[in-house]
Amino acid sequence: METNYEQLGFRCGLEIHQQLEGKKLFCNCPTLNLDEKPNIWVERKLKAVAGETGEVDIAAEFEMSKKKKFFYESSSKDTCLIEYDEEPPRELNKHALETSLKVALLLNAEIVDEIQIMRKTVVDGSNVSGFQRTALVAMNGHIETSLGNVKIPTICLEEEAAQKLYERETVVAYRLDRLGIPLLEIATDSSIKNPEHAKEAASTIGMILRSVENVKRGIGTIRQDVNISIHHGERTEIKGFQDLRSIPKVIEFEVKRQLDAVKSGKKLSKEVRKAEPDFTTSFLRPIPGAARLYPETDVLPTKIDEKYVEGLRSRLPKLLSEKISEFKKKYGISKELAKELIENDNFENYADEFRNITPGQIANILISIPKEIKTRLNLDSSKLTGRDYSEVLSFLNEARIPKEAVIEILAKKIKGEKIELNEFKSISEAELEKEIRNVIEEKPNLNASAYMGIVMSKFRGKAEGKKVMEMINRALNK
Amino acid sequence: MQPENGDYVIIKIKDEEFEGILIPRPDIFKKGHLILKLATGYNIGIDEKKITKIEVIKKHEQKIPEKFEPKSAKGLPAVSILSFGGTISSKVDYRTGGTYADYTAEDFIKMMPELEKVANLRAEKVMGIMSEDMSPEDWGTMAQRIANELNKDEVHGVVVTQGTDTLHFSTAAMSFFLRNLNKPVVFTAAQRSIDRGSSDAYLNLLCSVQAAARFDGAAVVTCMHGTSSDNFCILNRGTKVRKMHTSRRDAFRPINEMPLAKVHGDGKIEILNHSYEKRSHRKVIVENSFEEKTGLLYVHPGMNPEILDFFSEKKYKGIVIAGTALGHVPTVNPKYSLYGKIKKLVDEKTIVVIATQTIYGRVHPFVYSNLRKLSIELGCIYAEDILPETAFVKLGWILGQTSNKDEVAKMMLTNYANEMNDRHDEESFLY
Repeated sequence: METNYEQLGFRCGLEIHQQLEGKKLFCNCPTLNLDEKPNIWVERKLKAVAGETGEVDIAAEFEMSKKKKFFYESSSKDTCLIEYDEEPPRELNKHALETSLKVALLLNAEIVDEIQIMRKTVVDGSNVSGFQRTALVAMNGHIETSLGNVKIPTICLEEEAAQKLYERETVVAYRLDRLGIPLLEIATDSSIKNPEHAKEAASTIGMILRSVENVKRGIGTIRQDVNISIHHGERTEIKGFQDLRSIPKVIEFEVKRQLDAVKSGKKLSKEVRKAEPDFTTSFLRPIPGAARLYPETDVLPTKIDEKYVEGLRSRLPKLLSEKISEFKKKYGISKELAKELIENDNFENYADEFRNITPGQIANILISIPKEIKTRLNLDSSKLTGRDYSEVLSFLNEARIPKEAVIEILAKKIKGEKIELNEFKSISEAELEKEIRNVIEEKPNLNASAYMGIVMSKFRGKAEGKKVMEMINRALNK
Repeated sequence: MQPENGDYVIIKIKDEEFEGILIPRPDIFKKGHLILKLATGYNIGIDEKKITKIEVIKKHEQKIPEKFEPKSAKGLPAVSILSFGGTISSKVDYRTGGTYADYTAEDFIKMMPELEKVANLRAEKVMGIMSEDMSPEDWGTMAQRIANELNKDEVHGVVVTQGTDTLHFSTAAMSFFLRNLNKPVVFTAAQRSIDRGSSDAYLNLLCSVQAAARFDGAAVVTCMHGTSSDNFCILNRGTKVRKMHTSRRDAFRPINEMPLAKVHGDGKIEILNHSYEKRSHRKVIVENSFEEKTGLLYVHPGMNPEILDFFSEKKYKGIVIAGTALGHVPTVNPKYSLYGKIKKLVDEKTIVVIATQTIYGRVHPFVYSNLRKLSIELGCIYAEDILPETAFVKLGWILGQTSNKDEVAKMMLTNYANEMNDRHDEESFLY
């Protein structure tokens, strides 16, 4: 039976965290995650301190009760004294701020008049200072979804936390290279209607983020947290989703967990839970209380000029969703291919330049062929540069090579081998037929695919496989 | 109702409303925006020109702190903590947004109940100033207050907290001002304010109380982080220590000698340098007169020699010149030579002491002929391996007692608080 989420009092909101490119938010370290060997090691402790209201935060107390020591390590190539809390922060990274404002505008939000940097108390050690620097940059945005608008009450620009390496009874170790990378936090209100809707909203926000330059791509650069509660249940915050597709299932399981607890009269508490690969969740820590932000006195506030915002608004990038339908229509390609192509900076230029080949062919060379090189030839196609592709495309455009040669030439480029175009000159049908007859005569009584192997090893890149197979079958059936 | 800082308000602008607590705007911020703390905890600045109305929902209520008495237990040593301000006492004032030296020694004990297990503590706030504002008069007060505590039989040692910037001036001053020292006087501070979880103050305070209670020396020392880690602190002699980094927690390094000891939070004390006096039962005498017409000058290439005229005109009794390396000043090019002006000062009976800008190492009066001009011809006093800041404090302290030139020269080269070492340990450089 279909679950009626409205009847359950289902409330659900998202927090999307997205890393930005460039330098770190409050220092000049790169944000490349170079994966260099660590050459700095420091050991620290944190103490729960009274917040603004004078009371020690409950999350802070919880972590303290564990009496942990924190080990930090990093490479000096992408960390400096600021990550180690040994130097005050430098001024707010203006490029990261600009990116966050562009995203805010695309999310239909209102930018605050003056941005105040805050310290958010964090005592799990993931921030060496014991707090995360964060600023509310925009409010009251929304996205459109199939079930109506979802509100985006807050958009914050903050520091990424350090990466946990391991945890023992009394020690937690972190790597600091990630600490301080600019991070956008986009929070929806709790009006998400059902598990699928949560996925849709997350996916829309992700699409909007990827529409803006200087937003990091790839594994670990975007993370989704989901907040859920039902009638008589308690709010849980779920972290650590492997990908968007797992969101609905994890939510269903969490709702079921809360329902079961409510039915059996078990008391639930406000918890942060981790999404496991089997779609269940496990306890991480209690949800922190509200009184955990205080001003960052080492950084001055940033006034946002209205003219500057209007300038940004007039130069906003096109949304990926618009670009996808545009590509589909203009180039007559599938939605799936269009989705992959919009991430490619050169496709439009190529389609414009190489008029003798169809956009479909170009798309195939940019998207499908690299995949084939990886799976069939076991070569690293990410080594190919824009120049490699444009060279091959121009050969093809000038009809200097058959289209079968493209994969061979690209493979040679990866292997660093010399490319002789003569090698790839198409072979005429008559020649090919002669060659096939010779092979059959030399080695009689083999089956068609065996002959295919022999012929193709000789003419790979010069003749189309499908055609060769046809000709072999014809010759054998004579 | 007039809205005031701390009030819960609704701010109305054209087509929007913001609800939250009014936060005062620090003076250093440009005017024109109002700061509001929203329910999420975030502060935002709202352009005052856009505001049409501010409605007060709830007035701010000041909380009155409860009275506090530190606990005491039989058998524990007694330690007095005197606070003079600085980052270790700083917290953000949420009503003003600024950082103030507001925490008192009592607050340290409240925040760190573990201190009560180390010693029976008595705490007193003497001043609440940042250390760059500390003056020789304040050192005088400081010496009196410390001596009062040291001369109580039941007190095992004294912990002094102040700002880091001029901490090494204070420790040098106390090293000279407190004569017949009988117990440890442990100075500590913080490079990160105590209202943040990562503050170095916690380990520094814990180790300082341990050292004041258990270190067997009668010396003025600093007790700060030994490394960037929260592992142990080092005790550095008050006359041989300097703040060598603007912001690192291990900024206080020993100069021209090894630290006296490593101190761990659990009370373990490892002695690294045995050259200190042991505890005794004698009474401390305070000798805190300080000649205010004492100066410290940092020589640089291209310096206009007329700068020295200021010291002549204002009738300075003594100056320390931080010369280059072994103790040089320009003496050849007539445009820049300081020789004539120094000679004038010497002739006017001003004491001229030469220390070094290199911080590490010892000055030498005879290696080069230029040095001989200053030492033999003019009678400048070469201050051995005394730090320029320590030499300045020592000279002011001596001039507070005598203006007799020969006497001053003799005292300047007398070791009062191990401020001079006659040999340098290879390991001590950049320790």
